[in-house]
Amino acid sequence: MGFVLRSQLCWRAFVSRSDVTKQYYRSQMPAVSQVFSEASLMAVDLEMTGLDTHSDQILSIGLIPIEKGLLQLNRAEQRLIQINGSVGHSATIHGIVDHQLQAGVSLDSAIEWFMERTRGKLLVAHHSPLDLGFLQVAIKQVTGESIKLLAIDTLAIERKRLLRKQDVLKEGTLRLGACRARYGLPVYAAHNALVDALACGELLLAQASAMGDTQKLTIGELLSVK
Amino acid sequence: MDASELQPITEFIKAQVPFDTLELATLERCCKSLSVGYYSKLSAFVPLDESHPQLYIVRSGAFEVRDNDGELLDRLGEGDYFGFPSLLSGEKVSNRVRILEDGLVYHLDPDTFDYLRVESRQFDRFFNRAFAKRLRHQTRFKAKELTTTNRVSSLMSGDPLVIDVNATVSDAARKMRSARVSSVLVIDNNKLSGILTDRDLRNRVLAEGLEGSLPVHQAMTTKPKTLTSNSLVFEAMLLMSEHSIHHLPIVDDERAVGVLTSTDILRGQSSQPLLLIGEIERQNDLESLIGVSKQIPLLLQNLISADARAEEIGRVLTSVTDALTRRLIVLNQQILGEAPMAFCWLAFGSQGRQDQAACSDQDNGLLLAHEPDEAAAGYFEALTKAVCNGLDRCGYIYCPGDIMAQNPKWRLTLSQWQQRFGKWVNTPEPKALMHASIFFDMRSVYGPSSLFDSLQDKVLAETKDNDIFLAGMTNNSLLESPPLGFFKQFVLERDGREVKGIDLKHKGNALINDIARVYALSAGIKEVNTAKRIRALMESNIINRKDALNLADAHEFIAHMRLSNQGYQYTHSIELSNYLKPQNLSSLVRHQLRDAFKVVHDAQAGIKLKFTRTF
Repeated sequence: MGFVLRSQLCWRAFVSRSDVTKQYYRSQMPAVSQVFSEASLMAVDLEMTGLDTHSDQILSIGLIPIEKGLLQLNRAEQRLIQINGSVGHSATIHGIVDHQLQAGVSLDSAIEWFMERTRGKLLVAHHSPLDLGFLQVAIKQVTGESIKLLAIDTLAIERKRLLRKQDVLKEGTLRLGACRARYGLPVYAAHNALVDALACGELLLAQASAMGDTQKLTIGELLSVK
Repeated sequence: MDASELQPITEFIKAQVPFDTLELATLERCCKSLSVGYYSKLSAFVPLDESHPQLYIVRSGAFEVRDNDGELLDRLGEGDYFGFPSLLSGEKVSNRVRILEDGLVYHLDPDTFDYLRVESRQFDRFFNRAFAKRLRHQTRFKAKELTTTNRVSSLMSGDPLVIDVNATVSDAARKMRSARVSSVLVIDNNKLSGILTDRDLRNRVLAEGLEGSLPVHQAMTTKPKTLTSNSLVFEAMLLMSEHSIHHLPIVDDERAVGVLTSTDILRGQSSQPLLLIGEIERQNDLESLIGVSKQIPLLLQNLISADARAEEIGRVLTSVTDALTRRLIVLNQQILGEAPMAFCWLAFGSQGRQDQAACSDQDNGLLLAHEPDEAAAGYFEALTKAVCNGLDRCGYIYCPGDIMAQNPKWRLTLSQWQQRFGKWVNTPEPKALMHASIFFDMRSVYGPSSLFDSLQDKVLAETKDNDIFLAGMTNNSLLESPPLGFFKQFVLERDGREVKGIDLKHKGNALINDIARVYALSAGIKEVNTAKRIRALMESNIINRKDALNLADAHEFIAHMRLSNQGYQYTHSIELSNYLKPQNLSSLVRHQLRDAFKVVHDAQAGIKLKFTRTF
């Protein structure tokens, strides 16, 4: 499994034209064959103005590293991003209002920061296609380069686990809070990109330990869950 | 990172003792330094890195700490800590932490831990105490001293003026003049023989026209009432007002160590319990006694809000009940006439043990010197009915089990009582014993002590080292256990849908009372108050010092929780009960309460081993 992913990354590095993306892909190659208890991962969560990768914008990015199976709060970081226009109605979901975004950074510098922080680490997100979609669009916009990001999807892991036991999943079963509750993880009232990254990271720790020996579980196995 | 962005973590940590004592900036720095791990039952033990000790803070799940030999040291849940012993001692990690339920654990690195210890003394102290792992240091809370709960030693004048028994009254008078005191203690062979006061010199010497050469022992009061220096001031007040005396010699181990005078006491503030008892003694009919007894709930609240020790509150409240009982006996004797024979009014259960609290019911009986004839039987029936009725109307409701002097079943002669106890002791049926246990906590409230002693001595002689009886009592006391579940910290009682909480009386203090009773009866100890029993057991080496102090502290702590909970219920107009809801407690108090219940649990295991193993 790890081998396939490694060759994929190697191929992508080979065909990409910019040095930034080439290096980014190469940095991730060793990570895919690591075991969970030794791996360097990065839990990520985004807040957006909506769900459409092309018309909506990223409002904030939260990152929390997972090193050797432990979430490292001392390197937890969040960036608010200045957007074009107003957050509009989405403020009711993420609680970020326009004047807070005044303190935010430009998308360019946020993406630069993101690429720098996540170099050599594989991403972890809950329902990763959405977050990755936004990030890939933004990276293209900033660097002019297409990139294909890799992430462990805690939602996919949970769906696979549940479908082994039952045929149909009720609506809401796979929401982050519902997933956490099944592992006895605490309820977090606050919602921002950082707290959701934390919530997602903790969920992954719980999922990994439920899957068995974290010293044998490889990142490749987790990545390939779809 | 702005710590407020990780609000769920900051909020959790901020609510935990001792992190709640940290300054906000320190707290934020602490939260930022954490790392978060998750431990699953599948891996059995938390992997502890010997070269890298950390403080582990349990966020969810359940764990237990065992030493190298597999001995259980602690069970941990949300808000508990492990790993601090090696952080503090620098020694290698030797305990193992078993995962009982999957959970999230925060790790705090040693540098931040040391920084927090420097920043906050309370933080440092908390972990040092937890490390010392001695319950008595954790649970000992500082109760404010009340005038009435002060010890005699704080008010008495020490180094008392003494004179030999063969000196003359003139010598005594001169000594008193130069020392400017109103009394002198008379000593015979280093032991207190009597007391001579101003009043004795006036009434027994001058008024009788006697010479100054009269020997002191002919004018003194022989065998005066005495107290020990650690008696309560309150008890001294009672003794003085009951016997109309103004001087009390204070004697420790047969050595006179001081004198307490009524003036010494008056120097302290006038105190409510004593005023109440004084008022009780001044009332001349039932209606006015009922009026006075309406102040008792308020007295309890005052004592609770003054944060007096629970043991002392029990003694004060019981003294009020005793005074009321005695006053009712005296008033009714004024109506019915002198009693036809000597009798003792017996108090059982909580009144016997001197640990009455709010809404106590009556548990009493009558001990008669000999078989009454028909007239005497009628007299005692009338007397007991009047006294029990009076108590009921003063707020001490009739005993639901009908254990009252007005019930002819519990109005017995000395030999009948002896037989009754003999039956419980020698043919102990479990069910009969369960109801009988309160009788073994008996005390005489009124009547000649020699009569009561003949009963108690006989009972103790039969219970002492009586294996079958003690095994029966022990088995009964093990029917209830402290409310600690296997992983969850407290087992809550439910009543339909409503969570009632922890029953502090029946699952806490009552169990300790049972334990102390079994030990006391096994050793023939006369004390009935649980704290005094435990002290006596410790002094006679029946329970080792550490266990005895732990048990006494657990008893005091649980009783204190019960009283302060009732204080809370009273001020919030909630019906008083023994149920405590643990979610209303701070996490430290939860720690302590859990430790106190653990002590009860261990003490139960102790009596089980000691008294039931051969049966």
